[in-house]
Amino acid sequence: MLLLRLSHWLGQTHLGIYIRDSSYAFPAIEIVHLLFLAIFAGAILLADLRLLNLGFTTQSASRVARELLPLTLGGVIGMFLSGLLMYAGGPMRYYHNPAFQVKMALFAIALVGHFTLQIIVARKDSDQVRHEALLKAGAIASLLLWFAVGFAGRVIGYV
Amino acid sequence: MPALQHFCEWLYTTHLSISIRQSAYLFPFLETIHTLGIGGVVGTIAILDLRLLGLIMKREPVSRIARQVLPWTWTGFAVMFSTGLLLSIAESQTNYFNWAFRTKMVLLLLVGLNPLFFHLTIYRKVNTWDIANVAPLRARLAAISSLVLWASIIIAGRLIAYVNT
Repeated sequence: MLLLRLSHWLGQTHLGIYIRDSSYAFPAIEIVHLLFLAIFAGAILLADLRLLNLGFTTQSASRVARELLPLTLGGVIGMFLSGLLMYAGGPMRYYHNPAFQVKMALFAIALVGHFTLQIIVARKDSDQVRHEALLKAGAIASLLLWFAVGFAGRVIGYV
Repeated sequence: MPALQHFCEWLYTTHLSISIRQSAYLFPFLETIHTLGIGGVVGTIAILDLRLLGLIMKREPVSRIARQVLPWTWTGFAVMFSTGLLLSIAESQTNYFNWAFRTKMVLLLLVGLNPLFFHLTIYRKVNTWDIANVAPLRARLAAISSLVLWASIIIAGRLIAYVNT
């Protein structure tokens, strides 16, 4: 298993060992993860609400998607990197954790689904309202998926 | 014994407080909703702050962004406040002595004063700078203090679980 070997290696790196042995590293990284979450969650919420016509209706959907892309993309990169550091501090604790496995599966789906949607909308030139029902369904799926990712994330610490 | 401490100890013995503490699922559940509520509040207010700083949505007037964003900020606030209240009732006795919790309460008070001050002063004349790419210095200072205060609230909030009283 490539993933398993990669996880073992990550846990054995200097960084992994440092995070595991330090009593401050984990809370500090967790806080950074949450700070990125705050920016990310708000931007995702507003990007999806725009597609549902529930907010930012004074600006076109494509402009909102474009303006919020640096925040959603930057947020998810920040969360991924800080998440990876937490993982490095004890890969085997997470690798076999069912909540973590569920979170990663949901995260992969949400990541591909949401950013496909947001980038397609952002790249539209005019404010044509084609496939509106499809975009709305996508926005609802995005909100539910990210919510589930957050929920599974919190459960990791409890199972 | 101070009255507030007395009150917190009484709160700790109430039926509500005990049932949240004794349930295996209720506390983590409330905590998750609380965290997502914070995401709603801070993430949406950050959009307005970033607009005031001239970093995003420059072509959209500030007042329009405020009108669009603030209803969702308040929705998030209601979620954050109600779940936060239940969480602090469940741990009132220990939270009373927790320095991270105390710090967070002071910061929340300050972050509440910030928009009050902003709306009563510089935002009153928003029609004179509404379409400016970058808002006046005082509005930018309000935006920066909002971002810094909310970040500190998240930090203090997470530390509640880590510091020993």
